[in-house]
Amino acid sequence: MGTIQRILVAAVLFAGMTIGKAQATELVLWHAYRGAEKATIEKVAKLYESKMAGKAKVTTLAIPYDAYADKISASIPRGKGPDVFIYAQDRLGGWVESGKTVEPIGFYMDDATHKQFLPGMLDAMTYKGTIYGLPLNYKSITLIYNKALVKTPPKNTTELVKIAKALTDANSGRYGLAYWYTNFYFHAALMNAFGGRVFDQDGKLVLNSPETVASIKQMMKWYKQDGIMPTEPSETLVSSMFNEGKVGMVFNGPWYIGEISPNIDYGLAVLPVVDEAGKKPMRPWLTIEGAYVSASSKQKEAAYDFVAFLASEEAGLLLSLEGRQLHTNAAIYNDKRVASDRILKAFHDQLSSAEPMPNRAEMTMVWSPVTTAMNKVVKGNSTPEAALREAAAAVQESITALHKGR
Amino acid sequence: MKLPAYLKRTAFWGLGISLLITLALSAWLFRAGVNELQLQQRHRIAVMHANALSLAISSTDVEETAKRVREIQKFDPGIESLIVVKGTQLVASTNAADSAPRQLKRDEKPLYDLSNLLRTARETNRGEGVVRNKTIWVEENKPGHIQVSLPYLLNGEFAGIVQMRFNLLQPAMNIRLEDSGALPILIFFGALLVGGFLKPTSERRMDPAKLMAIAAFLLSALFYQQQRLDRLEQVWVNGNRVVAANYLETAEQYDRAGYLPLVRDPASANLWDTDHYQRPLELIAADGSSTDTEYGAKAADRTSFIKPILWAIDILGIGILLLIIFGYAERMYAAFKQHIYAYVYIAPAMIGMFVLVFFPFAYGIALAFTDTTLFNESLPFQERLIGLANFKAILGDFNLYERTADGIIWNYANFYWTLFITVLWTVSNVFIGVTVGFLLAMALNTEGLRGKAIYRVLLILPWAIPNYITALVWRGMFHPQFGVINQVLQMFGLEPVKWFDGVVSSFITGVATNGWLSFPFMMVVILGALQSIPRDMYEAAEVEGANRWQRLRFITLPLLKPTLIPAIVLSVVWTFNMFNIIFLVSGGEPAGANEILVTKAYKLAFENYQYAYAAAYSTVIFIILLAYGVFQTRVSKATESF
Repeated sequence: MGTIQRILVAAVLFAGMTIGKAQATELVLWHAYRGAEKATIEKVAKLYESKMAGKAKVTTLAIPYDAYADKISASIPRGKGPDVFIYAQDRLGGWVESGKTVEPIGFYMDDATHKQFLPGMLDAMTYKGTIYGLPLNYKSITLIYNKALVKTPPKNTTELVKIAKALTDANSGRYGLAYWYTNFYFHAALMNAFGGRVFDQDGKLVLNSPETVASIKQMMKWYKQDGIMPTEPSETLVSSMFNEGKVGMVFNGPWYIGEISPNIDYGLAVLPVVDEAGKKPMRPWLTIEGAYVSASSKQKEAAYDFVAFLASEEAGLLLSLEGRQLHTNAAIYNDKRVASDRILKAFHDQLSSAEPMPNRAEMTMVWSPVTTAMNKVVKGNSTPEAALREAAAAVQESITALHKGR
Repeated sequence: MKLPAYLKRTAFWGLGISLLITLALSAWLFRAGVNELQLQQRHRIAVMHANALSLAISSTDVEETAKRVREIQKFDPGIESLIVVKGTQLVASTNAADSAPRQLKRDEKPLYDLSNLLRTARETNRGEGVVRNKTIWVEENKPGHIQVSLPYLLNGEFAGIVQMRFNLLQPAMNIRLEDSGALPILIFFGALLVGGFLKPTSERRMDPAKLMAIAAFLLSALFYQQQRLDRLEQVWVNGNRVVAANYLETAEQYDRAGYLPLVRDPASANLWDTDHYQRPLELIAADGSSTDTEYGAKAADRTSFIKPILWAIDILGIGILLLIIFGYAERMYAAFKQHIYAYVYIAPAMIGMFVLVFFPFAYGIALAFTDTTLFNESLPFQERLIGLANFKAILGDFNLYERTADGIIWNYANFYWTLFITVLWTVSNVFIGVTVGFLLAMALNTEGLRGKAIYRVLLILPWAIPNYITALVWRGMFHPQFGVINQVLQMFGLEPVKWFDGVVSSFITGVATNGWLSFPFMMVVILGALQSIPRDMYEAAEVEGANRWQRLRFITLPLLKPTLIPAIVLSVVWTFNMFNIIFLVSGGEPAGANEILVTKAYKLAFENYQYAYAAAYSTVIFIILLAYGVFQTRVSKATESF
């Protein structure tokens, strides 16, 4: 072959490559996963590529979690960033309000897509009546117990207190129950059982309600009167006590499973029914991760198709079984492999009494004042009523500053 | 004496250059102002038509709606097209190819999304009882080609959107600012003439000639600007008349067609002429009347957006004038010419500094003068400007404590409380750092000390460990039930302390952690300085009969001063802004009482989303530190030896 021929062949090959590339839609996906979750999402992306037979190419990019939200807020409104990104619902309200970040996708959705999800999941992706993303997976707390200490998990709070009292010996640092009860996220399960809310349907702050006060009193009963919980709880304290076998039961989420010591034989059960709240079950908050189409994507339809694939049964099975996520697609829980997995099953059982955490931007203003209020009550510096009234006033002040008229 | 040499000694050049720049910038600004007024006027007319259409089809069935839409398009040649969208339906369109009514196509998704956006905006404004979201969207991508979208209400219920496209660049719409270049040129030469007679001394202080030059500058600039402002107001009034005429013409057409009655009552509000939040502007009455006397104040109101920029231009002009008549400009130019290579060499670094330091810094300060929050950051910068209100809210809030029956309750959210804690925090930390560092350095400096190298490494260790790890370790040690500190206390039969519950004990946790972190730096600095003190000075003092204390007092301390002072200055700035320790150890507990200024600013920005307020907070921190730095350098004069 002469030189000219070689050049010609190379040119033809090169042209062929570029044409081939130009036909495939290139999608960029951002996520903050590591380990098995990262490997699985990459596998799902590859699967999508092969299903599209060269018509789509997906590039996944893992962003360190602590920089992730800011990176999205900074890049997408300025026309940069990914086509699709995965994030939990807590930032959604803020991104919608500040604009030019998440693309509404309700227009693309068909009835089948609407119906494929577990109950409540799509609500988390809906802000003020508009759907902005498809839910992918959920997390909530549930009851985790040490089988060596607790034979049968309690069905209701009366049983819970009875079992816990038998296990508690404060002098040797042993307790029946431990969870991060001063943290509002963990407390919300009790609050929801009593019917307390943070915001009403119109978005008005209703934090300071008799129901929420009652839920704090219930928590104080366990802590003070029954004495079944340790003081000053924190994530590390709960985890180390459970691993040392010093506590029988904890309320915690799927992120905690990996931290349990291999020496502990643990079981999972649905959170108990609260007898004091008219036999209503504890309803923990759900953190739901969704896939969103970026408002500055150049190929929104193709991006939505990929998002729909991520939420499909096929991707859901992969993400659940290999990525250890609790996928939102209802169909996967009929699969034998999922149904026989005790961890996936336990958190799926908890879902029947759980509700999405509010996705309003105002929610970030709630955490700190309420935590302060809970600490005050626990330390006996204030009554539930007064502490909650103060917290609600502080939150309302911040919200009013944000809702400034033009 | 030749003329150029003579002029060089007068205020001729100073006044000439500064006025030239000021007048040119002002002229450009007024031209832009007229364009802005024309734009506003076009948008008002477009919004007026769109509001009218929306009202005219607010209770009609589909066929009647389609008919009215077609008719209304003929009312004004400026209207290019009209569409009405309800849910996912295209109800009516003036474009025959659209073949309305039909379902929206996939590429018409933006219409559906816009409809949802306006519905949400409306509901949010009602639900929160505060008007903060625009319900009218006006886009003008090419001059004159305007697209207005607004809610389509059917029997009072939100149903969809109405979208109108206009082409509004007819000559009648354009009111011009009659430009005569003579006035500014006249002013300019007058000022030059005056400048030629003013002879400022070359000394760097005020003299009558300099004052007169400033007065001449202000007189000329302000006269010109005032004259232009008056003209601009006139332009607005004329524009308003055009809008009123257009309104009356259209309203009569609607009246004749029987779509909407024309209310002939000058006291009734005009519901067509609204702002982008659908609130009546109240600039023309329902009968189209407008009295110009009334408009004096309103015109001034409508043209005042230009005033802050005028002030900025005037300040810039005075700055240039002062630079020249004080001779700085000439010296700067000479220095620049002499060291041109030096400036070329530092240019890359300067560009980097500008992009990474000065620009964000300037942006932060600019942000402090707005009311930016998460919810309105997409609005144009000008609409968010509020002046000094943030600073007034921060510095003017003296609600420091409350007297109740139980005694005084401190308001921990107050700026002055946080400032007090910050100062206390800084002083106690620097004191501990310097004292411990000094004692350890003295110990390590002992002659013949065995294992000095090992001690030194061990003592530097706290500094080498990332400070957030140290912070988390200390936080664990202060745990009331399981922390090592309380367990040690209990070993000695003492009561455990709930560290994060009390204001004082919580403060101590932060100071203890930061003390641990800060002494190694001081120790290293002092050790270095100690080793550079010549031994013979001590020997001479010993011969003179000075005791240990006198040697310390009169040799060691004075010779440490030049090293110690800059180290303390640095350390104060670091500690003042020591975010990690407060945030991670006590988190400002209890109830935010131990927050320092930076952690507070962080919470305001990232928990409460009050970006502008947090920026103002940070600006105040910067000013405090700047004042401190200047004060420190002046008082000590220690840095002069460098």
